[in-house]
Amino acid sequence: MTNDDLFSINPFSLGSDEKARILASKLRELTEFHRGHCAAYKDVTDALGWDPDAVKSQSDIPFIPVRMFKNHELLSVPRSEIFKTMTSSGTTGQRVSKIFVDRQTGMEQQKALIRIMSDFVGKKRLPMLIIDSPEVVRNRSMFSARGAAILGLRMLATEAAYALTPEMELDLEAVDGFLSRHGDGPFLCFGFTFMVWHHLYESLRDKGMKLDLSRAHLITGGGWKKLVSLNISGKAFRDAIHSSCGISSFIDHYGMVEQTGCIYAQCPCGHLHASVFSDVIMRRPQDFSECAIGEEGIIEVVSVLPHSYPGHALLTEDQGVLLGEDDCPCGRKGKYFKVTGRLKSAELRGCSDTYAAGF
Amino acid sequence: MQQDSDFQGRVSFLCGDWQVVALSGRTPVLPACSELVLSFFDALSHTLMSSREARAYPDVVTWAFWIRRASLEKAARRISKDARIRVGRGFALHIAPSNVPVNFAVSMTSSLLAGNITAVRVPSREFEQVRIICDAINSVLGSGFEAMRPYLAVMRYGHDDAINASLSSMCDLRVVWGGDATVAAFRAIAIPPRAIEMDFPDRHSLCVVDSSEYLKMDPSQVALLFYTDTYYSDQNACSSPRAVIWLGSGREEARERFYKALHDLVFKRYAMQPIQAVDKLNAFCELAAAGFRPLRAGSDNLLWRIEGCRADARLMDFKQPGGYFFDIDASSLEDALPLMDKRCQTVSCIGVDPAEVARMAAAHGARGVDRVVAVGHTMDLSFTWDGFDMIESMSRIIDA
Repeated sequence: MTNDDLFSINPFSLGSDEKARILASKLRELTEFHRGHCAAYKDVTDALGWDPDAVKSQSDIPFIPVRMFKNHELLSVPRSEIFKTMTSSGTTGQRVSKIFVDRQTGMEQQKALIRIMSDFVGKKRLPMLIIDSPEVVRNRSMFSARGAAILGLRMLATEAAYALTPEMELDLEAVDGFLSRHGDGPFLCFGFTFMVWHHLYESLRDKGMKLDLSRAHLITGGGWKKLVSLNISGKAFRDAIHSSCGISSFIDHYGMVEQTGCIYAQCPCGHLHASVFSDVIMRRPQDFSECAIGEEGIIEVVSVLPHSYPGHALLTEDQGVLLGEDDCPCGRKGKYFKVTGRLKSAELRGCSDTYAAGF
Repeated sequence: MQQDSDFQGRVSFLCGDWQVVALSGRTPVLPACSELVLSFFDALSHTLMSSREARAYPDVVTWAFWIRRASLEKAARRISKDARIRVGRGFALHIAPSNVPVNFAVSMTSSLLAGNITAVRVPSREFEQVRIICDAINSVLGSGFEAMRPYLAVMRYGHDDAINASLSSMCDLRVVWGGDATVAAFRAIAIPPRAIEMDFPDRHSLCVVDSSEYLKMDPSQVALLFYTDTYYSDQNACSSPRAVIWLGSGREEARERFYKALHDLVFKRYAMQPIQAVDKLNAFCELAAAGFRPLRAGSDNLLWRIEGCRADARLMDFKQPGGYFFDIDASSLEDALPLMDKRCQTVSCIGVDPAEVARMAAAHGARGVDRVVAVGHTMDLSFTWDGFDMIESMSRIIDA
C-alpha cells in the first residue's frame, strides 16, 4: 500500500468532495490494516465501533486519543522493521509518547513534508539556518519532537547550519559563516517559536546587535503557548524579528510527532492549510460531532501516512477553529484553520513548550 | 523547630503561626470533646452561617452546620459513654487532599475534638472555600478564643520534603489524605516511634440499585440525589460511585429511566470541561486495550455509561471522573463482591437496605466497604470515615 497517487499531484489541489472520497478509501484501508496487525488497536476500535461500510468520509474513521501512545507501544509492523522511534517531549516525570516508524512510513513522511513546504518556499532546495543547537539531533536512536522536526525540515535544504551552540548561546561565528556564503540569496531559517524569540531575538537585543536575514523565509513551529504567556502576539513576534533581522517572510506551522510530515503550514493570509496527505476535523467536546465553520472545537488529525503505527486518526488535546474549505484567498484548496491553544489542564506536551517550561 | 528561619519564607500561615508548631511540644493536650473546642466550633458555625459569601458554597454550609454545638455534642456523648478519660495524642500534622476543598476542615474538626494541637497543610490550589473558612477561623480566634490559638495552624507550602520531614519528625499523629502516590511519599518520611499514622489513599465507591424498587420512585428525585453524589464533586470524591450495579427485576426499564433522568439533569446543570471529553474517551480506549470488551451506551460526552463488563476488581483501575460509569448487571448483591475489595469505600443504595449490604459484605469477609448509605448521602460528613472512628483514633485513653 503506497500513496504514490497523492505524491504525484499538487498537495493543495483537491476539492472537498474528491478529497473526502480519497481519504475515506485510504483511511478505511489503513484502519483495516492496523486492525489486522496491532491487537490493542483492534480491541480499541472494536469498542469504539468499526463498520467499514459506513465510512463515507474521513470523519467516519474511529479516532483514538494521542495519549494512547504514552501508555502503549502501538505498532503494526514487526519490531525488526522499525528504523526509528520518535518520542514526544515530555517534562520530567511525564510519560513520553513513542512513535514507531519503519522505512516506508519514514520515507513518505519525508516526501510529504517536502511536497508541502515546496508549495510555500519553491521547489528549489535552499540552504537552511537552524535556530537551535546541533545537540538536539545528535542522538539518532531516540528523536525528540524538536529533533524530528529539524531533521525532517533539513531535508528541504542543500546545506544546514546551526545558529546556537550546545549551551544554547547564539553562535555568531557559525551564523556569520552561513551568511557570508548564502546571505544574499534566498534561504530558509527554521526554529521553534520560543527558541527564535529567546535565543535569537532577545539575544541580539541584549547584545545591541542586528543581523541581516532579509532574504530568509522564517519557518516556525512548536506552538505559541510560551509566547502567549509572555503576552507576545504573533504580530509582535513578526514585528520584532523584522526589526532585528529584516525578515519579512514568515511561515508558521502546526504539526505533531504523532503525524510527522503532514504539517499544516501558514499561508500569507495567516491560515494553516491541510494538504492532500492529511486533514483536520474540529469536534465538539459535548458529543464529538463535527463543528461548523467558525466554531471552536477539539482538533482531530487524520493522515494517510502512518503505516507502521496506528496513528492515522488521532484526537489531539489542542483546540482550533475551521475557517473555511477550498476558498482561501491564497488559492490553496482544502481546509484552512487556526489553532487556538491547548485544552485547559491537559498535560503539557509537545515540541518546544517543554523546553520553555524550564524558564 | 530548629530550622524555623529556613522554612519561614517557604510556608505561609492562613491561620496561626510558627509558634503553634514550635511550641507544640510544650502545649498541654486537651481532653477529648473539651468545652473550649465545642464552643470554638459553635462560634465558628455561627460566623459562617451568617456570612453571605460562605452561604454561596454548599460544602462550606454543610461543614458549618455539622460543627454546631448540637451536632458535636452528639459525638461527644458517644465518646463519654466510655467512662475512661480520653485526651489528645499531641501534635497532629494533617496533609489535606487537593480534590475536595473543605476536607482540610473536616480533618481538623476531628483532630481538635480529639484534643490535639493541630496543624493542617492545605493544597496549593487556592480554593475560595479554604479562604472563607480560614477568614472565619481568624475572626473567631480574635473574638474571645485566645485560648484556642496554641492549638490550631493552617499552612500552605509547596511540595517540600524538608518541611514535610521536619514537621513529621515532631508529630504524634500524622494524617495524610491524597492519592496513593502522596501516601507513599509520606510513608517514606519517618515519624517518631510513638507517633501513629492515619492514611486516606485512593478509594472507589459503588451504587447498588434494586430495579423494581427504583421503578416505584420519582426518577427526577433519584437523579438529583445521585447527581449530588457524583457530578456535584465532578465525581472526584472517593465516595463518588464509579459503578452502578443493577439488581432485581425490570433492570432494562429501570436503567433506561435512570440514565435518561440523570442525563436530563446533567444537561441542565453540569459544565463539562472540554478536556474531560478527551479524558473519558481515553479511559474507555485504555479499558478496551486492557482486554475488557466494553460497550458504550449513550451518545454524548456528558455521561459515559460503560456496559458489557462484569464486576471485575481490575475495572476500578480504569475509573475516570467527570461522569463516567460502569453499568453492571448483577443477579444478586454477591455478584458485586469483586468490586468490594480493599479499595472500596462507600456503597450507596437505591431501593436496597444499607444494613443488608453491610451484612452481606461482612458475611463474605469482604476487605472493603467502610460505609453504606442511601443515595444522596455519600458526601455527608461523619466522624466515622474509611473505617476509622476519627475522634477515638486521634486521641488516646488514660485507663484508670
